[in-house]
Amino acid sequence: MEQILRIFYKNGSFFTFAGLQLLCLYLIVNFNSPQSAIAVETASIFTGSVKSGAGTVEGYLNLAEENEIQRREIADLRSRLPEAGYSTTLETDSIEDKTYAQRFIHLTANVINRSPFSPNNTLVIDRGTGQGVAAGQGLVGREGLIGIVDLPTENFSRVISILHRSARISAGLRNNAYGTLQWDGTDPRRMILTDIADYLTVMEGDTVFTTGFSNVFPTGQVIGTVESSEVQPGTGSQNLIVRLINDPLHTNNVFVVRDLFKDELAKLKPLK
Amino acid sequence: MGGVDSVSNIIRFFILLFLQVFIFRQVSLGWGGAEYIFVFIAPLFIALLPLRTPKPLVVIFSFLFGISTDFFYETLGVHAAAATFCGYIRQFVLVILEPRDGYKVKASPDGKDLSLSWWFSYLAYLVVAYTVFYFSMEAFSPVFWKQITIKSLLTAPVSLLLCGILVTFLRPRI
Repeated sequence: MEQILRIFYKNGSFFTFAGLQLLCLYLIVNFNSPQSAIAVETASIFTGSVKSGAGTVEGYLNLAEENEIQRREIADLRSRLPEAGYSTTLETDSIEDKTYAQRFIHLTANVINRSPFSPNNTLVIDRGTGQGVAAGQGLVGREGLIGIVDLPTENFSRVISILHRSARISAGLRNNAYGTLQWDGTDPRRMILTDIADYLTVMEGDTVFTTGFSNVFPTGQVIGTVESSEVQPGTGSQNLIVRLINDPLHTNNVFVVRDLFKDELAKLKPLK
Repeated sequence: MGGVDSVSNIIRFFILLFLQVFIFRQVSLGWGGAEYIFVFIAPLFIALLPLRTPKPLVVIFSFLFGISTDFFYETLGVHAAAATFCGYIRQFVLVILEPRDGYKVKASPDGKDLSLSWWFSYLAYLVVAYTVFYFSMEAFSPVFWKQITIKSLLTAPVSLLLCGILVTFLRPRI
């Protein structure tokens, strides 16, 4: 207290000056019309910028919540896409009754843990059996694929990334050629699509889609584009290097895909 | 007018205020519909306050002179702001201009111990501070920096000349 008083005593002239100057500003603004107009204008510019700044900050504070809302919306919309449906179109005579039964449903999830980068990448998401996650369900990002659920617990699930040497994904091209997509454990941007017949012409830049044959990912999901192809001598097939559309190692917002027809389709396994 | 006691300071207050608002207020020269030259002698009052006046009191007296001027100029606050600023920086000007052996605050009453050149530089600091601050407050926005500069450049020498003339006749001790 004494020190504060001393500061006031030592700088008495400054505080007098500041106080009187404020009084002067008040008088100027209140009793002189041109100055008051300028002051009002300046104040409105200033408060405007402060308000918009505050709005931006407020927007950021709500960002997580907004994000969650948006992602639920996306999950809902994805579930309504034709690819998520099972066509029950019946063509009787010339009447077409085009309806879809729900086939794939999407559940939002966040990646909460990842293994260090290695040839066998796994990750953990914050959804588990409590939310209906089961082993073998696919994980997609906003675009592209992420992985396949391996071990669900009650609230979390371990996921084998598509960048895992034992991951096998059924993928195909627009011309219905299909093969197995796998990763050789080196470049996280590229995967290899094997077992494409060598007589098929594949152009660089062709899009690679999921086939949906394995009931893991929805049919027709874009995986990436063909970068190059190399014929494997003696096997009658060619390998395609696929450039991924997404970056599975750095995606946090994901969707778990559940195929409602999986059990039914499992009864129809190929005969050995 | 040359004394250091409070009575002569009060008398000086009213004389200089009278000069300012009834005589020098009529002086406003300019061209093209705008006025650029004014005469301010408020800095002279601030300069002539005794050296021993406590610094906060200098600021308060300056403010009083400024606000009194404002009542006649119908620009409430503008002169007061400039005068307050002028009164505040007086202490720093005095430090800058301090003679090698300090101020002789107890010198003889007619004290002519401070040279004419000292008086001119002292007044120059205060007049320039006053005019620049006055025109800044009058324009009230840095947008008008051209007018502020022109008015200050033209007004300051004229005001300084008049303050100088007045002080040459009186040359008081402060």
